Amino acid sequence: MIKNLINIGIPSKGRLRKDILKIFKKNKLHLVSERGERDLLGSIKNLPNVKILYLHAREIVERLGDGSVDLGFSGYDLLKESEVNIQNKINVVKKYGFGRATLVVAIPDPWIDVQTVADLEEIAFEFKDKKKKRLRVATKYPNLTREFLFSKGVTQFKLVSSLGATEAYPFTGSSEIITDITSTGETIRANNLRVLKDGEILKSEACMMTSRLALKNNAFKRIVKLFSK
Amino acid sequence: MKSKNLSEKILRSVKSKGFKYIDLPSVIEANHIVQRSGENFRKFIFSFEDQNGNELCLRPDLTIASCLRYLENNLKSKEKIFYSGQAYRKSNNKKDSIIRDQVGFEIIGSKDEKNDDKEIINTALKSLSNLKYSKGTLKIGNVEIFNLLILKLDIPRRWKLRLSRHFWREEYFNDLLKRLESNSDVDPTIVEVDKKRYLKMLKDNQQTIVAGRSIEEILKRFSNKIKDPRRTSRGKNVSKIIKEFLKINCPINKAAEKLNIFFKKNKINLVVDQKYFPISNNKIQKLNVEFSASFGRQLEYYTGMVFKIDIKSKSKNINVINGGRYDKLISDLGSTKQVPAVGAALNLNY
Repeated sequence: MIKNLINIGIPSKGRLRKDILKIFKKNKLHLVSERGERDLLGSIKNLPNVKILYLHAREIVERLGDGSVDLGFSGYDLLKESEVNIQNKINVVKKYGFGRATLVVAIPDPWIDVQTVADLEEIAFEFKDKKKKRLRVATKYPNLTREFLFSKGVTQFKLVSSLGATEAYPFTGSSEIITDITSTGETIRANNLRVLKDGEILKSEACMMTSRLALKNNAFKRIVKLFSK
Repeated sequence: MKSKNLSEKILRSVKSKGFKYIDLPSVIEANHIVQRSGENFRKFIFSFEDQNGNELCLRPDLTIASCLRYLENNLKSKEKIFYSGQAYRKSNNKKDSIIRDQVGFEIIGSKDEKNDDKEIINTALKSLSNLKYSKGTLKIGNVEIFNLLILKLDIPRRWKLRLSRHFWREEYFNDLLKRLESNSDVDPTIVEVDKKRYLKMLKDNQQTIVAGRSIEEILKRFSNKIKDPRRTSRGKNVSKIIKEFLKINCPINKAAEKLNIFFKKNKINLVVDQKYFPISNNKIQKLNVEFSASFGRQLEYYTGMVFKIDIKSKSKNINVINGGRYDKLISDLGSTKQVPAVGAALNLNY
């Protein structure tokens, strides 16, 4: 019966994919792809009821939310950034120690008068009152950024959505400050930016998640257990 | 929603006070909202894009639609207007309805502020007389008194502005008071490191722009910030005064007296006249009239008098009318001049 098929989502590229594949290896789960490395579909040897989908890490969260993926591997940051409706449909089963990164607020390093979010709050009002503009914040994480800034008193800003190379935005006139995910802070420093003293928004790491829409039958539980080593 | 009959009666009451009925668009540009209230307002608005990619939204309240109308039609004279219709807001509270039926009335562009405040309250009271209720309260506050008090306190200017800006956000405001008490906003070790950098940057071209701010601007603020002289004991005292002020709550006819005692006790050079308040009767219709110093915190855009009417009907407490003065709203939306505005809205969903 096709309904017994369990879909597992794995990131299709990058560091995260590599680390996740190691988990499969460690648990002696042999991944098979009929059409070689670039195949976006696959299976696990000797587990006929499992289908492997290679997806963008953000999409894994979305698919868990709509139930088309039953079990998936992705970043905690991406889960927290997703809409509440999606988050409500996902359980985090396990947090792995790898893929650690922090979402932070970064400002141009020469802004030596700005050390904390409270300073930023003043600057945001200066932009509004004196320059008649909004302080622009470039980010790939609009939801987390908005929540964080607002909770810290920064209400006067405008989000600019970015798909990549966010660190360059303040110096190309596309935004004044940014929020971005970083593991060592190197890229941020290399781009003449500085993280605010209290500018940590969220700590993230790789997670195993399950969809609440997944059929919680014994076959599914067995599969989840296979990753527990 | 209440019966059509009732809303018609209310509209007639407002009209009888000399207000002119206007129609307002249901859809407005989302940019206006973000421009006024910043990014957080996005959480409440229903927005979508038109064929050119402009972001539009359903009006989250009628006041903003009305102020936009005044601004976009380039109106200059005094207007007394009223309107009725639905406003649309998202809410995390399941009990709240997404659609809110409102009747609103406003006086825009008039310099006779004290009388206009009274007129809006009187119109609110007249429309209220159409409703059945056993008792209620009319609560009056004034954000202006708070801002005047802050100006008189012995704290750096940055702190004054900060406290005034966040009066309307109670939780964050309390955080600010805690920080004021502990003096933790300037880190001395970092200041030392940056002082060297400051001296170096003084030699740079002062007009160079770094992400929207000139070097001159950055250095000026840096130097102001490290010069902020503030002792912890002083911060604690100021915080105590503010907290005491916010606790003032009394029948309206005692408002001036209570405030003046408070100012005198704390050696603050301010005096309030009872005429400052739009009402001095403690009882109007079936309402107890009260003054509250902390009232007015719910909405960012109020700049002066604020009021609300809660009534008891069928053993339920219901907030039916909210209003106040918002002199900066139209300029926040893009007017070059400040336009005085005062108004109120009746909530018909309960």
